[in-house]
Amino acid sequence: MTYRQARWEEPDIWDLAPLRTGDAPGTISGVPERFRRKEFVRWPELSEQEVMRHYTRLSQMNFGVDSGSYPLGSCTMKYNPKVSELLARRKHAVELHPYQPESTVQGALELIWRLEQVLTKVTGMPEVSLQPAAGAHGEYASLLMVRAYFRDRGEDGKRTEVLLPDTAHGTNPASAAMAGYTTREIPSKEGCVNLAALKEAASEKTACFMLTNPNTAGLFESEILEIAKSVHDVGGMLYYDGANLNAILGITNPGRMGFDVAHLNLHKTFATPHGGGGPGAGVLAAGATLAPYLPVPRIVKQGRKFHLEYDRPKSIGKIKTAYGNFGLDLRAYAFALTHGEEGLKHVARRSVLNSNYVASRLGKFLPRPFRPLVKHEFVLAGTPLKERGLRTLDLAKRLLDEGVHAPTIYFPSLVDEALMVELPETESKRELDHYIAAFERAINDSTENLHAAPHFTSVRRVDEVRAAREPTLSWKDLRAGAKAETP
Amino acid sequence: MLSALGLSSTEELFADVPKKARLGRLGIGPGHEEFEVVETIDRILERNRTLTHFACFLGGRVTPRYVPAAVDAILSRSEFYTAYTPYESETSQGILRSLFEFQSLWVEMTGLDVANASLYDGATAAGEALLFCRRLHEGHRFLVPASLPWEEKSVLKNYATGPNLLVEEIPYDPRTGCLDLEFVRREVATGNVFGVLADVPNGFGHVDEGVLDLKSTIGDVPFVVSADPLSLSTLAPPGSYGADVVVGEGQGFGAAPSFGGPLLGLFACRREHMRAAPGRIVGATLDAVGQRAYTLTLTTREQHIRRSRATSNICTNEGLMALAFVVYASVVGPRGLAQLQTALAEKAHALASALGGIDGLRAPRFESPFLGEFTVEITKGTARGFLDHLEQHRILGGHPLADPRPSAGSQPERVLVAATDWIGAPEIQKYAHAARSAFGPSGGAP
Repeated sequence: MTYRQARWEEPDIWDLAPLRTGDAPGTISGVPERFRRKEFVRWPELSEQEVMRHYTRLSQMNFGVDSGSYPLGSCTMKYNPKVSELLARRKHAVELHPYQPESTVQGALELIWRLEQVLTKVTGMPEVSLQPAAGAHGEYASLLMVRAYFRDRGEDGKRTEVLLPDTAHGTNPASAAMAGYTTREIPSKEGCVNLAALKEAASEKTACFMLTNPNTAGLFESEILEIAKSVHDVGGMLYYDGANLNAILGITNPGRMGFDVAHLNLHKTFATPHGGGGPGAGVLAAGATLAPYLPVPRIVKQGRKFHLEYDRPKSIGKIKTAYGNFGLDLRAYAFALTHGEEGLKHVARRSVLNSNYVASRLGKFLPRPFRPLVKHEFVLAGTPLKERGLRTLDLAKRLLDEGVHAPTIYFPSLVDEALMVELPETESKRELDHYIAAFERAINDSTENLHAAPHFTSVRRVDEVRAAREPTLSWKDLRAGAKAETP
Repeated sequence: MLSALGLSSTEELFADVPKKARLGRLGIGPGHEEFEVVETIDRILERNRTLTHFACFLGGRVTPRYVPAAVDAILSRSEFYTAYTPYESETSQGILRSLFEFQSLWVEMTGLDVANASLYDGATAAGEALLFCRRLHEGHRFLVPASLPWEEKSVLKNYATGPNLLVEEIPYDPRTGCLDLEFVRREVATGNVFGVLADVPNGFGHVDEGVLDLKSTIGDVPFVVSADPLSLSTLAPPGSYGADVVVGEGQGFGAAPSFGGPLLGLFACRREHMRAAPGRIVGATLDAVGQRAYTLTLTTREQHIRRSRATSNICTNEGLMALAFVVYASVVGPRGLAQLQTALAEKAHALASALGGIDGLRAPRFESPFLGEFTVEITKGTARGFLDHLEQHRILGGHPLADPRPSAGSQPERVLVAATDWIGAPEIQKYAHAARSAFGPSGGAP
């Protein structure tokens, strides 16, 4: 056991310097006195060095892809190429305002346009917008487009249902509900869509069927063409959740599979970093039926010039200020340029190979509930752990002690004590073997050690129940708590 | 690895993809070496002219503002930027603590109790606030200032579409640009209003004193303030005048404009409503040996647990931008922020005075206090023509406020003008000179 995460006894930032109180901001010409702030914002005055040391120490208590394997299923935590970071910080990329005249931002518009062209080919759909900030944002925009389409056809009051498989990402039903739809889950059969159940559920009430393929069990929905037909037969739209696109880059695509609208996550498939929560970048791709509903502006090429086009009468309008997360688009375009056609196909082949290799090895330790051939990720059932009085959670925490990240756990929910593992194409065989060995050590460790894990992270097992029961959500709450405890 | 799997080719790994769905060539060309990628992208980017090429007076929700080098030094720590959402708390204390500090700062700035760990941008944060208000209060109408930026109105309408809610506009006094409080009182009295939003400063750049009296006008109807965070360094925290929710655009704290993204959505609410809030929230707790530790909490509100009954669909947010926000504020400090706001306001007032007497425009268009931004109305010609003229003098003179969609019809020729860090007395004189020439014999904004 060699892994140790940094464990700094670092004070809270507000305790790094005594708070200066008692003075107030001056007045600004014309601003009424009663609008004036009576005290400066309560925050410490620190030197740059104090701030740097504080956040450097915090960073050392954090685990990223650069720290080790990060097999979070459905999150596609691949390596983030450093050249993308370099390019995204170029003066000619960051010192650009979205409301500059078009003639002064031709490079930015061209870059977005070029990435859109690549993505139309990757998705097999004629039009792409990069406006969404994230995948779920793209899902929501897609459903607004579907609604606008049915409204135009006079069917909005009638098409009230969104269907989705029980393996769907949580964002799918949440987006559907936000868009005003009632959701109906289709039970899976051996981890895949039960076509008969889908056909039975699909009706003239169906606005949309939301599907990710490969799905969250890591299985390719081989009946996809029949699925598409059964949705289209009732006049519904088919939506593609692109979270799992990595497995099929250049092999197949949503257009070829019969989808009408799709979102992709540039922060998964196109290697833009996830930033510890975001920013991401979502892609909206639409087939001919829904393309007129894409958000404005559209970026169009007129001769050699690029232009922000607002004249799209059927457009749903804006879903975000400006044109999307340009800094991420730039990184994604660098990724596409680096890989090219063969490189992207290699991404799919290698990520699927990695996944099948690790699945075959880890299958010796825990049961695999579905068929053996998987795509970019696979699912294990932690059920046997229960015989030792353990849970999947214990195994996940014990894995952290090995200097690797845990898999996604307790998802998909149709698998008891699920672990969902995804090791993308950038992981070498050596890293995969390291992960397999770490997994073996973890699962074979004593029950006591598994219960007590993790031992070597910057803090020990975190009490999440306490966090939820007594929410302490800010410095203000900490002060209130400290006051309450003072006799 | 193939042989370990008993396979002879990777092709066999895709045996489950039906032949009819398989692709031939994508047609996107070959891959490139790293130096070629750099060369290609640099060549494209060089077709841009950066803000510093001009005297820059662009503002609005996206703010060009100097970012101290320390901010990017922190954001470049790959332990932060290559991490995912901190699902495994024990190994993610760094980002969790940073987000807890970020939440704490937004709480201090707004005077509310609970902040989330970020939303996509200020406009979508307003959209989430709309849905949040509907969870707190019955009704189907949400009132927003008519002066709100058109993009934000459009985003709000898209958030209102799902539950079939209406976004309605509060008219403004044509002299001051301030909200018609009588209108608000009347509409709230008729019922069916579930929320009212006001922005500080407003879409014209002005500080509307009436906002201080809005809560007493609307009673128990939830009150959303959309605030520019820098303005809160010198203005009263919205919690002190009755805001139930404070949202805002946080990009100006530590992030470059970057052509409009990534941005940062800010959201804070009162403690009694925290379980109705959207997005990730970090909480402090203890670990197994009793030391302070942090974790994502109140997760039963969220999509991965609650699915179709979640408070929002948001998953990926703008976490790294939230880190930038708190690092920026910590480097600049509370007094530095107030000084910055004061300096920008002085520059904006100097510019307004310099433009004051010019025939062909009205600056400022509205008679009410302002900080670093104000609205100019072009009375001869168009806003676009005026700005094009300034651009020839290497001035980015602001942005037109009009909704550019043809369906929006004819609108006043107005320009939002902002003071930025890089503007001094010479640039202000240059602007005034160029503006004068726009309407002179040789100029003439078309």
